[in-house]
Amino acid sequence: MAIKRGVSLYSYQQSQFFGKLDWKAQIREVRESLGTDGIEIINQQLIRDYPFPSKEFIYDWRSYMARYDMTAVTMDVYLDVHQFRDHVMTHREAAEHLKNDIRLVAEMGFKNIRTLVLVPIDVIEMALPTAEKYDVRLGKEIHAPWPIKPGGHREKATKGMAAGINFNAVEEILELRERTQSPYIGLVPDFGIFQFAPSKVSVDYIRRHAANQDAVDFVLENAANYGHDELIDVVDEKFPGHGIPINSIDRLALHEPCCKPEDLKEIIPYIISIHGKFYNMTEIEGQPGHYEDKCIDYATPIRYLIEGGFDGYINSEFEGQRDQQDMGIEGLVDEVEQVRRHHEMLKRLSGET
Amino acid sequence: MFDNFLIVPHSLKNDLDADGNATGFQFAVRIADYRGCFLSLHNGYYIDCDGVNYPRELQRFEINGKAPRSFEELKSCCWEHWNYDDAGIVHVKKDGGLKPGKHTIGLQQSILAQYGYMPWDEAWVKNPPLPGSGGGAGKTETISIFEMTLEEGGAA
Repeated sequence: MAIKRGVSLYSYQQSQFFGKLDWKAQIREVRESLGTDGIEIINQQLIRDYPFPSKEFIYDWRSYMARYDMTAVTMDVYLDVHQFRDHVMTHREAAEHLKNDIRLVAEMGFKNIRTLVLVPIDVIEMALPTAEKYDVRLGKEIHAPWPIKPGGHREKATKGMAAGINFNAVEEILELRERTQSPYIGLVPDFGIFQFAPSKVSVDYIRRHAANQDAVDFVLENAANYGHDELIDVVDEKFPGHGIPINSIDRLALHEPCCKPEDLKEIIPYIISIHGKFYNMTEIEGQPGHYEDKCIDYATPIRYLIEGGFDGYINSEFEGQRDQQDMGIEGLVDEVEQVRRHHEMLKRLSGET
Repeated sequence: MFDNFLIVPHSLKNDLDADGNATGFQFAVRIADYRGCFLSLHNGYYIDCDGVNYPRELQRFEINGKAPRSFEELKSCCWEHWNYDDAGIVHVKKDGGLKPGKHTIGLQQSILAQYGYMPWDEAWVKNPPLPGSGGGAGKTETISIFEMTLEEGGAA
């Protein structure tokens, strides 16, 4: 029983975009520099001609993973409900989409799928028999701002991504698992749920693009005093033409984690794998060679995972590059170095020797 | 995002017809998201070149080794993928093309990628968001500005 280290190749999206690291080079980096085996992928980032990759691609993938003695942990799949454009995809169509992904995942040797938090529970239930047949577990992501536990003072939002929020997503999964007694149902928590402040790289990005710096300051200082929709209205009213997208206001407004680390305890038996989300690993003052993300609590949740006997992968998911791509080639962050720092932290906090 | 890298450097050229007359211009683009997309979701571009707006109706998109297609045609390409690694070519209709020299292009990509069901889904089927209006901008939060040069004789 132990925490195992892996990497979501999402982390290397920029290196892939610029042709610096293809997926094979990414796998070598994980094996040779990070000394571990866990690989998570984004289906549409890595799989050429998704959802119909060539047989050659599948063989090449499996062969390369074998050569470096890697483990295909989890594949992240999506739900683009506008795919058919003449109608919104029905739930049954969405289930067929998920079943296709399950078959592809199995073919590539993965054991788990990460479904998005917004995938309706009946879609997951319809795909469950296929998951069982192909021996692929379905893990629903717990992604900020969705809570592990419903309740508190949260209110339903109608604007931005938060409008899709379902506060009972975790409960629904646990209920389905209880009712079906299927071990193929579970959860994929993302460490972003323990983020307690906006990352410096996000704030800096938004500042560089905001027409009105006062609006940015206002959100940073006053987010705690307003509800989600209310804050957006107040910002529009006070700073007409501020030009800050809702998504960015949401990111600036983050002032408390959406989950308590102790909430993890009850769901540990249902965790399929974990997204080790981070934005910016910096050296801890007075501790050369030790790194941290200043806005996400890793130490407390990892302590609970160890105490609870979690046996599975935390896969690094570096997301800070996307906030630093507006400053020219020389302003790009080094993804490889960021992930190496993240693994220094994971090793240290999980007591790996 | 990839804000400043959406247009491939040095890719601005004129489009010529069989007689060598310029009928428009073209440039190569990358996908702003961290994943590829079904072509049907690709909903066009906000394009401003030297202060002139070129709406979706004047745009065609070339990808996967096929002839350029209109965004109306792409709507039915539900199973064809724009791979993350690939550049596509945006063709813009403009009689006479662009003059050699410097041009300023403002660009925002519209891809109707989502993470599941959202309250505006039905509205988007009936009236897809206009590129540049904010809705459906995918991962391009802002209109990015590109200073490009069309070389003398820079035809496709």
